[in-house]
Amino acid sequence: MGALRKEGDKTVGSSDLVLMLYSNLLQEIWEVVSALIGEAILALLLASTVRKLGDKYPFLTFLKVSEEGVSWEELRENSRGLYPTEIHRGLQSLITHLFHLFSALAEGVISRELFPKVFPKVREAERIISQK
Amino acid sequence: MRLIFKNLNVLRSTLNAISMSFEVKEIIASAWTNLPNLFDFSSFGVFLKDGLTLYLYEEESCPVSFTQEVTKNMVKVFSMLGEETISTDKINLQVEKRKFRPGQMAMDPHGSLKSHLTLPLAVEGEMVGSISLNSDQANAFDAQDLQFFSVIGYQVSSTLKHFQRFSSIKNIAIYDTLTNLYNRRYFEERFGLEAQKSFYSGAPLSLVMVDIDHFKKVNDTFGHTEGDKVLCEISSLLKTSVRKKDTVARYGGEEFILILPEAGIDESSMIAERVRKLIESTPFDVGKARINLTVSLGISNFPAHRPRSKEDLIKMADLALYDAKRSGRNKVCIFFPGQK
Repeated sequence: MGALRKEGDKTVGSSDLVLMLYSNLLQEIWEVVSALIGEAILALLLASTVRKLGDKYPFLTFLKVSEEGVSWEELRENSRGLYPTEIHRGLQSLITHLFHLFSALAEGVISRELFPKVFPKVREAERIISQK
Repeated sequence: MRLIFKNLNVLRSTLNAISMSFEVKEIIASAWTNLPNLFDFSSFGVFLKDGLTLYLYEEESCPVSFTQEVTKNMVKVFSMLGEETISTDKINLQVEKRKFRPGQMAMDPHGSLKSHLTLPLAVEGEMVGSISLNSDQANAFDAQDLQFFSVIGYQVSSTLKHFQRFSSIKNIAIYDTLTNLYNRRYFEERFGLEAQKSFYSGAPLSLVMVDIDHFKKVNDTFGHTEGDKVLCEISSLLKTSVRKKDTVARYGGEEFILILPEAGIDESSMIAERVRKLIESTPFDVGKARINLTVSLGISNFPAHRPRSKEDLIKMADLALYDAKRSGRNKVCIFFPGQK
């Protein structure tokens, strides 16, 4: 997979890279958090986050969430024409909002488990995406 | 080191107790009884969106300020999750206190909310409320507490789901879908119980059969939709005319029946007359017209009419109603022995 291009360069490859980074990240979050609060509650939180951010980032509504996990197929199909930075911003907001919810629900309990595993990956994703 | 097996057993019996509950309050009480064996906490809350009710079960020494803080926090978290703002003033707060901490561990009267676990309660993907464990101690809960508490939350949600399904089936079984009055099947069941009680104890029991006069004309002139509206309005009037302990049911078509426990002939006549006058004086908007309607009523009573069975009592009320119709309608008639 090639490196990310500048904003304005709508190559399929760069969007795919962003989506891949975030789908891995969300998968990691899913594994850690579902073990703590269960798939049903986590799916509810994710769906509520998608709804909340859907107005600002409509492509997020193509993310299909169920107790079995997150399906990226439709989102991948429907975000082909978008700038990679826009996809990045939308998915970054999604992760930030989720962390905000986790903290509102259980204060530091979820974050303590999640941060050591997920935070380095968040930083890594941001680093890769910020590369020109 | 946590005694994990002991805790798993406590968790198992907590889940069992929740799943065996038959009422919302019972579910919450079952959880509440068992939670102190699993967690160190100061209060346990269950918020239900339906009725905006917050059940708070607290350690006896919980100060009022702590209760207020917990309420505010639960409402805040629910509003955030439920994507709708709920005002704390509208909450129907039900607090119950119990001593579950030893004396020396009583809460500081100025203790504040330092940590909590709050989880949504979801039924078929819809958020119906939230549950919460709260403490005046910082970092009171760890990952295992969260795991256990989420399992309890899941069980509470599942039991609520069963209730919801059961109550909708129950509603279909006992209510008339058009008028929302009890249906005939429920009437038979209820009347069976009331008759048995009266025949055994000798307490009076009256039946009033009500029929709308010339209702066919309403349907023929204005159509069945308007006719149905009239049936609903008359049903509401019937409900407002009886006592709390009475049962109003739709007996069929435009016919209704009232079970009046512990009512003698005088009292049941008074109630029947009240119904008759109320309907006579109420104008009904049907289509673009405003019409007046009347009803005929027949009364039977145990022990006055000496029925030998509950079926006899129904037959007597029916005969009295027939008499009211035959003698000009818009009347209350009481069964008289020898009437056929």
